Amino acid sequence: MWRKFLILSVVLVISIFSFAAVKNPDTVIVATIGEADTLDPHFAYDTASGEVLFNTYDCLIQYKGESIKEFEPRISTAVPSVENGLIKDDGKTYVFPIRKGVKFHNGNDLTPEDVEYSFERGILFDPAGGPMWMIIEALFGEYTWEDVVMNHVKLRTGKDMAYSDLFAENGEPKPEYAKYLMEAYRDILDPAIEVEGDNVVFHLVRPFAPILYILAQGSSWSSILDKETCIEKGLWDGKADTWWKYHDLPKEESPLYAFENGSGPFKLVEWNREQQKVILERFDDYWNGPAKIKRAIIWGIDEFSTRKAMLEKGDVDVCYVPAQYLSQVEGMPGVTVKKGLPTVSITSLHFNWTVAEGSEYIGSGKLDGNGVPRDFFTDINVRKAFVHAFNYDAFIEDVLNGMGERVPSDLPTGFLGYNPDLPLYKFDLKAAKAALQQAWNGEVWTKGFKMSLLYNTGNEARQTAAEMLKYYIESLNPKFKIEVQGVQWPNYLSAYKRGLLPAFIIGWLADYPDPHNFIFTYYHSQGVYGGPQGEAYKEWARENLDALIEQAVQEIDPAKRQALYEEIQKIAIENYIGMPLYQPLAIRVQRDWLKGWYRNPMRPGEDFYAYWKEE
Amino acid sequence: MIAYIIRRLLLLPLILFGVTILIFGMLELLGPEKLVSAYIRGPEAEKVAGATQKIIEKYGLDKPLPVKYERWLGNVLKGDLGWSLVGKQPVLSAILSRFPYTLELALWAIIPVVFVGIWLGIISAVHHNKFLDHFLRVFAIIGWSFPDFVFGLFMILIFYTQLGWFPPGYLSFDMERVVTSSQFVNYTKMVTIDSILNLRFDVFLDALRHLIAPVITLAYLWWAYILRITRSSMLEVLRKEYIRTARAKGLSEDVVINKHARRNALIPVATVSGQMIIALLAGTVIIESVFNRPGLGRFVAMAATQLDYMSIIGGALFYSILLVLGNLIVDVSYALIDPRIRLQ
Amino acid sequence: MLRDEIKKNTKKFFKNPTAVLGLFLLVFFIIIALFAPLIAPPKDPNNPYRIPIATWSLEPKPPSPEHPFGVIGQRDIFYGVIWGTRTAFRIGLIVAGISAIIGIIMGSLSGYFGGWIDEVLMRITDIFMSLPFLVAAMVLTTVLGKGLDKVMIAMIVFGWMGTARLIRGNILQVKEEQYVLAAKALGVRDSLIILKHVIPNTIFPVIVQVSMRMGSLVITAAALSFLGLGAEPGYADWGTLLSYSRNWLTQFDKAWFSIVYPGVAMVLFVLAWNLVGDALRDIFDPRLRG
Repeated sequence: MWRKFLILSVVLVISIFSFAAVKNPDTVIVATIGEADTLDPHFAYDTASGEVLFNTYDCLIQYKGESIKEFEPRISTAVPSVENGLIKDDGKTYVFPIRKGVKFHNGNDLTPEDVEYSFERGILFDPAGGPMWMIIEALFGEYTWEDVVMNHVKLRTGKDMAYSDLFAENGEPKPEYAKYLMEAYRDILDPAIEVEGDNVVFHLVRPFAPILYILAQGSSWSSILDKETCIEKGLWDGKADTWWKYHDLPKEESPLYAFENGSGPFKLVEWNREQQKVILERFDDYWNGPAKIKRAIIWGIDEFSTRKAMLEKGDVDVCYVPAQYLSQVEGMPGVTVKKGLPTVSITSLHFNWTVAEGSEYIGSGKLDGNGVPRDFFTDINVRKAFVHAFNYDAFIEDVLNGMGERVPSDLPTGFLGYNPDLPLYKFDLKAAKAALQQAWNGEVWTKGFKMSLLYNTGNEARQTAAEMLKYYIESLNPKFKIEVQGVQWPNYLSAYKRGLLPAFIIGWLADYPDPHNFIFTYYHSQGVYGGPQGEAYKEWARENLDALIEQAVQEIDPAKRQALYEEIQKIAIENYIGMPLYQPLAIRVQRDWLKGWYRNPMRPGEDFYAYWKEE
Repeated sequence: MIAYIIRRLLLLPLILFGVTILIFGMLELLGPEKLVSAYIRGPEAEKVAGATQKIIEKYGLDKPLPVKYERWLGNVLKGDLGWSLVGKQPVLSAILSRFPYTLELALWAIIPVVFVGIWLGIISAVHHNKFLDHFLRVFAIIGWSFPDFVFGLFMILIFYTQLGWFPPGYLSFDMERVVTSSQFVNYTKMVTIDSILNLRFDVFLDALRHLIAPVITLAYLWWAYILRITRSSMLEVLRKEYIRTARAKGLSEDVVINKHARRNALIPVATVSGQMIIALLAGTVIIESVFNRPGLGRFVAMAATQLDYMSIIGGALFYSILLVLGNLIVDVSYALIDPRIRLQ
Repeated sequence: MLRDEIKKNTKKFFKNPTAVLGLFLLVFFIIIALFAPLIAPPKDPNNPYRIPIATWSLEPKPPSPEHPFGVIGQRDIFYGVIWGTRTAFRIGLIVAGISAIIGIIMGSLSGYFGGWIDEVLMRITDIFMSLPFLVAAMVLTTVLGKGLDKVMIAMIVFGWMGTARLIRGNILQVKEEQYVLAAKALGVRDSLIILKHVIPNTIFPVIVQVSMRMGSLVITAAALSFLGLGAEPGYADWGTLLSYSRNWLTQFDKAWFSIVYPGVAMVLFVLAWNLVGDALRDIFDPRLRG
């Protein structure tokens, strides 16, 4: 035994001091922050979960390499288009021919029934706060399955009720409503997604241009599950009269929470929650041939210094580096840094036209020099002044280390509807001053004002943006006071949602690369960021923008859509609806020996299938 | 003594009740809008209007405190501590699976703390008010005055970035594969012990290599405490009659110190060491974050910053049981070692 | 007699070189704190604790004539270190002071009256004591929100129990002394007995305890800052400055100044209190008298 010990210690000592050419040649280790939230594809709505699902499940189609506009077949053997006849009825029917010979990780065959089941289960499950609204919007023009059901109930009974009214104390439907619930599945959902021979057919209630994006790989909510395993595990059993038992369950009650049986190129071996580590292993029967590497590890290491040290030693292959620490990894031997990569997100500041009552962030709530009135930002001059009092270029250059781009509106570059000729707001203190002198009939200038700008702590870019705006606004007139206040994320979220913030800085990451996803979010009266801009804004949007936005999403002709979106943006820019601060540019930091990487901004993390390691 | 132990044990449920009420009360100050943020990641949860409200209702966050507490208590009595959002598993298993890591670190740290601390303390006492005494005390107090995260980050900087000796983390990648393989039996879930039981000394050495830096950090910060106790206890003993007698008898100073004084001086040190293990179990929050080690401290810290309701309460409950029982054991063993102490 | 005692103890204190070192450091910090507005004049006199922004760039800048300690997180380190001295005193004095007062009240009520009052108060003490200090402070700070005042509240709420127990123990001893029994027999009011006889005789250990806690409180506040729960970014606080350097630590040339200056200030500050406290304890520890 002692000999064994001796040999082992010698081996260990050697392994400490010798440097292998490529460390862990058949394994790729990624050091990142955070950890997957859930592995249920119909609940997961964050990139960390999306990354695991991306590598373990397949979708019907996928993005072609680096493109976010073109597609390639995956489980569907063709990408539907009007030309190949797979998009029919003026964009209301989509046909997907399902590939044969695809196996799930447990050896089961993937069939068209699995595809149908996957989408139906997701829609019926529709957890609150989850991603399923996208598919439900595409198919039914509503945002939740409960809304679809309630519309049906209203149609049949003429009564306006809440979903919870349909159920008795014990959770079972009241006898008089049970049949409507069954009908909702039988007459609405079931016919919307159908198996026809080897094809799966989607029927939309109206044309919806972005649907292919919503189905493409990277959208984990469109992952294909194995019906047999799912039912075995205790997911929805596929029957019309039971679905409500599986609707909107708590996150942890989903049997797929930490389990997968997808058909993707990697299998989940272990999700080590003590170490925030997900270990994936190659699936040898993958329909497109096995991956080149054997194992992939996604490791959440929250401390940047630790992460960086491990990259330097070659113990990890890929490392997440925030833009402000870029200089620390540039020039590191054996490490490749790629800068200025495109992203699909926007960070901007928007104004609240009607601050909710009781807000502690508007001082006295009056225009008396110690506060601002609740409707302060309804005056276009105030908005105009703020928009011009920000040094956009210095911000991108100094704070983001150049890792950002300016955009004219809340629509990222590279998207349909983007037009580089639209005017960018200028950093112009004279214009800002002039506007403030006119605002509120000159009262703002003579009396001054005081308000708070919040940021969520930990987000240094947002903090500096707020500080910069404060700096320039206060430089205009000593009577202007802006207090910059850091609060924790939960507090920030709740304050902005309740409409307490007079102005808020917030970002948006694309769910799918279609302009609708941004334009609707920021500008529509029902968009996520529409509400926090206040009642007065919503009213204004209903008059000026809502109809245009709805028209644009139903239009199939890209040229006409382009024109519509440009018009919407023009209106937004002319009315100073928001300050698009920047579109971030991404950074890639990895060891030289990792090969096969490509950039696609819609991908929620690594595509391990493409990788291999060599010196 | 038995009566004393029973009395203390009977107080345990009362204390646990108080602790959980205290935590519930604190979290209640937040209101449902903020509590819900633990359940959602960002603005995407609101992509559908009213989704947050639905989540609040689903998890009963808007219920009044007594209702929440009653429901929670009912579940606890059934052995269900709720679901940990941070740990991504039931709270009980989240705590139990992380505790061995913390226990292991604390046990390893206590060894150098106690031995070096006692050794330095005796030196200090023997050289009372001489240069060595002052030097050692200042040296130890400097350690006591260091913020642990600064010291820990320095350790990484020197021993990993510069020298490459002691990597952060828990085990290196290859060894981790050994530990998770089916041949390796996890008896205690403490890898330094399991590896010896499995006769895998390579794993043992690797685990040790990952332990050295955090242990040194903890040790240096805690030396001062043991040094101080040993020193004053030693000084007290050295003034006692029997030591004077021993000296007067002409015994050499070595014999006096080692044979007579030390044994008696170490009784209070033993108690303090016991308390220190308990304090270490609760005091590894920062060290675990800095050295990227899994463990209970880091878990509770994350739960606290992310307002993960169930994990915070579960963690607090666990810590209280630990502290109460730990202190009881220390007190009882103190009484056993030192017959002069009477428990009351 | 009391004067002799003080004289003797003062002499003892100054004979101890480590104590003198501690006192010297302490005086040094007091001077800096008092003259902060002269050493580093604030830009905005209404809000001197907010370190003015030196540059928009997030990259640290090494010391220069304009910024003698360098720049980190867009802030001038020199300014932060100087005004941070005041912050450190504030944290220490307020938290240690108020929690000591709460402790004294709880402890004296408990020790003096005994009976069910003692029982109830001590069980409450037990409950607060059975939560680890850092964890409890973390939870309460998160609940209360960001800001140094919130950190201080959290540290007070969970910081009074040690004093309470100490006072109670001492009172139980003092209660048996002749003069207290005599006062009681004469019918002096309870509150007066506590104030006039009991507390003065038990206050020295509390002073020692407070001085020993001053340092560790500053460290705890810094640890909370490190975990992202402390003072607001940009607040003149050593812990906040140190937490800025956290992500630059592996690059010594870019970070040494942001660790060394606030780090040394903090270690010396804590050291000063610990040395003084240590010496005081030597003097007042009855076991070492003789």
